[in-house]
Amino acid sequence: MVTDIPPSEQVNRRDFLKKTGSAAVGAGAAGVSSSALAARPEGTKQYGMLIDARRCYGVHACTVACKAKFDVPLGHNRSWVEYIEKGNYPDVTRSFLPRLCNHCSKPNCVSVCPTGATWKREEDGIVVIDPDICIGCKYCILACPYDMRFANPETGAADKCDFCVHRVTEGLEPACVEACPSRARVFGDLNDPDSEISRTIARNPVTVLRPEKGTEPNVFYIAADHSDERNSRVENQYVRVDTNRRYAERR
Amino acid sequence: MTEGLVWGLPVVFYLFLAGMGAGTLVVSSSVLLRGGGGPRGIHVDIARYGAFLAPVPVMVGCGLLIFELGSFHTGHWFKWINLYKVINLSPMSIGTWLLTFFIFISLAYAYTFVRNAPYLGENRLSLRRLLAWVSVPLGIGVAVYTGVLLGAMPSRPFWNSPILALLFLMSALSTGVAIILLTRALLHPRKADSEQQLRFHASGYILTSSDILLIGIELVVIFLFIMFAYLTVGDVRYAIATILPGGSLASYFWFGVVAIGLLIPALIELYFVIPRLLYHREYAAPRGVEIVVPLAVLVGGFMLRYVIVIAGQVTGPVGV
Repeated sequence: MVTDIPPSEQVNRRDFLKKTGSAAVGAGAAGVSSSALAARPEGTKQYGMLIDARRCYGVHACTVACKAKFDVPLGHNRSWVEYIEKGNYPDVTRSFLPRLCNHCSKPNCVSVCPTGATWKREEDGIVVIDPDICIGCKYCILACPYDMRFANPETGAADKCDFCVHRVTEGLEPACVEACPSRARVFGDLNDPDSEISRTIARNPVTVLRPEKGTEPNVFYIAADHSDERNSRVENQYVRVDTNRRYAERR
Repeated sequence: MTEGLVWGLPVVFYLFLAGMGAGTLVVSSSVLLRGGGGPRGIHVDIARYGAFLAPVPVMVGCGLLIFELGSFHTGHWFKWINLYKVINLSPMSIGTWLLTFFIFISLAYAYTFVRNAPYLGENRLSLRRLLAWVSVPLGIGVAVYTGVLLGAMPSRPFWNSPILALLFLMSALSTGVAIILLTRALLHPRKADSEQQLRFHASGYILTSSDILLIGIELVVIFLFIMFAYLTVGDVRYAIATILPGGSLASYFWFGVVAIGLLIPALIELYFVIPRLLYHREYAAPRGVEIVVPLAVLVGGFMLRYVIVIAGQVTGPVGV
């Protein structure tokens, strides 16, 4: 399931370069972010995150920082780290996959919301939920291909990672980025070719989760293991994924 | 089986009840229009049963949906009013408005059948016909929307099929016919004179023969639904394995939906319809048959929603 950025986005990069004429500076940097930029008015931001899975060693500092920040009810998390165990002895690996809302450029959760309680912010591309409008129909929870949303039992509304929108609008980084001891996370504006995230994405092969669902995620991974428990059926090898959820299988 | 699901039994019941109510209204109003919409006759007998039955399951189903809402669980009992503050392209938003119009129109349509109802006077029949013309597309809309609601999500490969809405429409019409058949069989007087008996069998023949047709189409739609999912690759192929032999819901599907809900009722109905159809003999199904067969169809319609709602949630995209 490991997939690079789909070729269609590379076409977009060329279009983008033609339009802006910034071919010399940060040519590759614009590549990944251009799809988001093409669809949105100029001058707006598209915040995104890049997670270097080589640096992650599963300390859960991000999970704890997020939990402490938002007082999410027991048994639920807005952000967590999954463990992926794979292989048949002696060829085995264990890798870590930090998970959070992808703040997709084409969010399916937003298109199914019947009340307009969740939307993608024009100014910075963050997908947010207003718990005062949300009636808790749980349609968005089913519509998210990443299972990133949950029903908050205290507010009765859908809940998920919001890129720490209250910190980001103040010019700070999200709590998980600041807490990460191995600096595995880079947060920034994907529409700005000179930002650290854009430059790092340009220099490295990156992947997104489940690109075939067409949601155009804005959370990118370097060297992440995308194996799923269902892969064990196909590849005839042992695969186990530990999530934060009570049910065993990631879905 | 329903533990840990996002959408549980209230949604299963809602999809079944709303489909049944919508199907009932479509059957009632189309039979009325087919019969010319006159003041009396076999068509009006059928239409009257349908008109009084249609609004009830839809209203009960919508009530159940409100119990399922997260806001209702936390004490915001009337927060669902927010649904009426916007209209957008979400299937649920469109469905909310469709259901609201459906309830009002179906209640008005039922009112035109009330004997000696005030404020109707001379216009009763023309108003009834007008409401029937509105009811047919509205009922089809409600039945189809329940399938679109589930089918709108690429994240749920089992549901993400264009033919699911057609399957729900066929099941809605079939359960709609079944509830009318059942009610008229239950309410039929035991000591009916020969003229009443004749009309009873005449309307029974119309309903039973159309039920066979609907069940036949539903079987074809189920076949296409399964074959196209089975012959593809990736997550849809994995998802359909839940109802194929060996899957966790296979017995519910093949015994509950296909055998009890479709094949057995269709075969029994054929046994009574064929003599009339081929040899022009009298159609006279015993009352017991006209109670048992619709009950089986209704059980099958419920099992269809049950299997599909659960199968869609226990399967997901393959790979991360």
